[in-house]
Amino acid sequence: MGHEELFAQLKQAIIDQDEDAVLSSVNTALDAGVEPKTIIDQGLLPGLNVIGEQFECEDIFLPELMQAALAFQAAMSVLEPKIKESGNEGPKKGKIVLGTVKGDLHSIGKNILKLLYETSGFDVWDLGIDVDLFKFIDKAKEVDADVIAISALLTTTLVGQRDVIEALKDQGTRDRYKIIIGGGATTQVWADTIGADGWAGTAYEAVNLTTKLVS
Amino acid sequence: MIDLVEVFERAEIGPLTSETDYYMKRYVPKLSEIIARHGIKWDKNTIINTDDDLTDRVFQAAVDLLAEAGAYCPETNRVMQFTRDEILTACAQCPTETTFGEGRERKVMRGRRPDTTDDRPWVHVGGGIYTTDEQVFMDTVEKMASFNIVDSVSVPSILHIRGTDARVRSPQEILAACKTVRLAREGIRRSGRAGLPIINGISAASQPASMFAASYPDFGLRPSDGFLIDFLSELVVGYEALQKVAFYNSLSANIGSTSTPLFGGYAGGAEGVAVTATCYMIMGALIFRGSYHYNAPLHSKLHLSSTRPLIWAIAMSNAAIGRNMGYPMVNLPYLGGGSGTKQYHYEMACYMLAVVSSGGNVFSGHPAMAVQSDSLVPDDHKFHAEMGLAAAKLTRAEAEPLAQKLYPLFGDKLKDPDKGFTFQEVYDAKTKRIVNDEYRKAMDDVRTELGAMGLEVPVS
Repeated sequence: MGHEELFAQLKQAIIDQDEDAVLSSVNTALDAGVEPKTIIDQGLLPGLNVIGEQFECEDIFLPELMQAALAFQAAMSVLEPKIKESGNEGPKKGKIVLGTVKGDLHSIGKNILKLLYETSGFDVWDLGIDVDLFKFIDKAKEVDADVIAISALLTTTLVGQRDVIEALKDQGTRDRYKIIIGGGATTQVWADTIGADGWAGTAYEAVNLTTKLVS
Repeated sequence: MIDLVEVFERAEIGPLTSETDYYMKRYVPKLSEIIARHGIKWDKNTIINTDDDLTDRVFQAAVDLLAEAGAYCPETNRVMQFTRDEILTACAQCPTETTFGEGRERKVMRGRRPDTTDDRPWVHVGGGIYTTDEQVFMDTVEKMASFNIVDSVSVPSILHIRGTDARVRSPQEILAACKTVRLAREGIRRSGRAGLPIINGISAASQPASMFAASYPDFGLRPSDGFLIDFLSELVVGYEALQKVAFYNSLSANIGSTSTPLFGGYAGGAEGVAVTATCYMIMGALIFRGSYHYNAPLHSKLHLSSTRPLIWAIAMSNAAIGRNMGYPMVNLPYLGGGSGTKQYHYEMACYMLAVVSSGGNVFSGHPAMAVQSDSLVPDDHKFHAEMGLAAAKLTRAEAEPLAQKLYPLFGDKLKDPDKGFTFQEVYDAKTKRIVNDEYRKAMDDVRTELGAMGLEVPVS
């Protein structure tokens, strides 16, 4: 089997969210001497691009997105050690600290964003829901994050987004990070009011916005 | 039906699992398997389903989903499991009518069957939209309550204390919740209908402590009002919800079980939302001991409920419960168009045609995805209630062609909806009369257009 055929097979296995087929194709490609980074760039990522488009067009939904992400992560668990061994680690697109503000228990939008970030090549630290504002800041400092992405669904929890920015300003570290906000109750006007670097109405928009901000 | 304490105990004894595993190893695969098992498929050309066999399969699928996936309690990390017999007993014994209000306003909301054209559905108006000013809040509530066709109101939320918004879980939130109730009751009294029920108790309360505080009788709420308790998406039953269940059952108050299944989330597309929405209503009767259900499926990206597949799924869940359970239901629409816009009126008309002909009661909806402050404009809600009463005279088969005519008038605008008006832009501050000609004209035009399509909407 030629490399092009292998990449097409791998791409299709991701589109089919078939973890076994993804792993089988990855191993076949490695056995054929294909570089791990080439496998990612020419097989896995094109498949994930299709998944992202299908999700955006509502041809597939969160469960399928999660299955594709799991298949991708399984492949990466095989490929990443080999990339490290070769000493040929390229830069990630960026480091994201993500979470839903304190007092807010909503998770689905944040979970979708996490998956889209991961499958778009970002490193993500998901702090979960009901997150203390200083946890955002401490984790961003610890991992030297590029972006802090903060979700809030409720009108009564919006202030949690403002508080993260205010605390960063108080600490003199506001300019170290790009801050983007989203969630059901948020708007561009609110983002402007609190001095966020950007607002996204959907997870897909958030990934595009983040890509622009870190480039 | 199993008793309430036993329901609570199910959160303590079910299988241990992480939330992610609950979704990915239980809810998602079970939902997919059950949809295939029952052959549930949305015909993309349809807005209102008229196939009763498909409707009944959606109900059976909802029963299967609860029996096989269970609900999830995040505090205990356990799956709350119920046998099929327990679920079916709850369906058979659920309330089919609920009494709200006091004195002259004391009335009964009933569960409706699809294609019932000779009854008068319950008419509920309003919404918990953020309000910036106490006077606007009072005027909004007073005006909504003054409409004679209205049986109950949802009141807006007013979160600020001394000019600053109360944050969640703060002491100010408790003050804001109490203030909301006091002002709402006063607004209703000013309308001359003191006994009219508020059934979105309590719009400014995000936590049990705020709800319980604002339920203190001196503030004006009564057990004959309605208290909303939310499930979290999907099939998650948190301790906060169960605390409210314990409290309001102890008061013998009306409980509105509330759910927001997300289109595009774990529930997937139209079929998954229809089954999950129906499942929530069964859970409302069984787990919350609800008196009525607030059905509010939502698009996960657009944050509204008026897309074609969602309207189909919402109407389907009404029909499934109406035919098989009879639990009283209202549906909370989130529309894209802003207040007073033609888009908003078209969306609402399409939604009413679908849900009311399918067995839902009448509930006006949130404009502008409920994110624009002061956008609860009472005359919109009167118009939309009138649409609902007109839709109640139609069967699903009669409503479907009208919905098909309406959908193209707004479907393409949902991603970038028309902006609307605020209360202050529509009414004179003193007389409370409509002074905005553009607002009035859009409403009059749409009423005429609906009549020309075959949906006469008389002014009440």
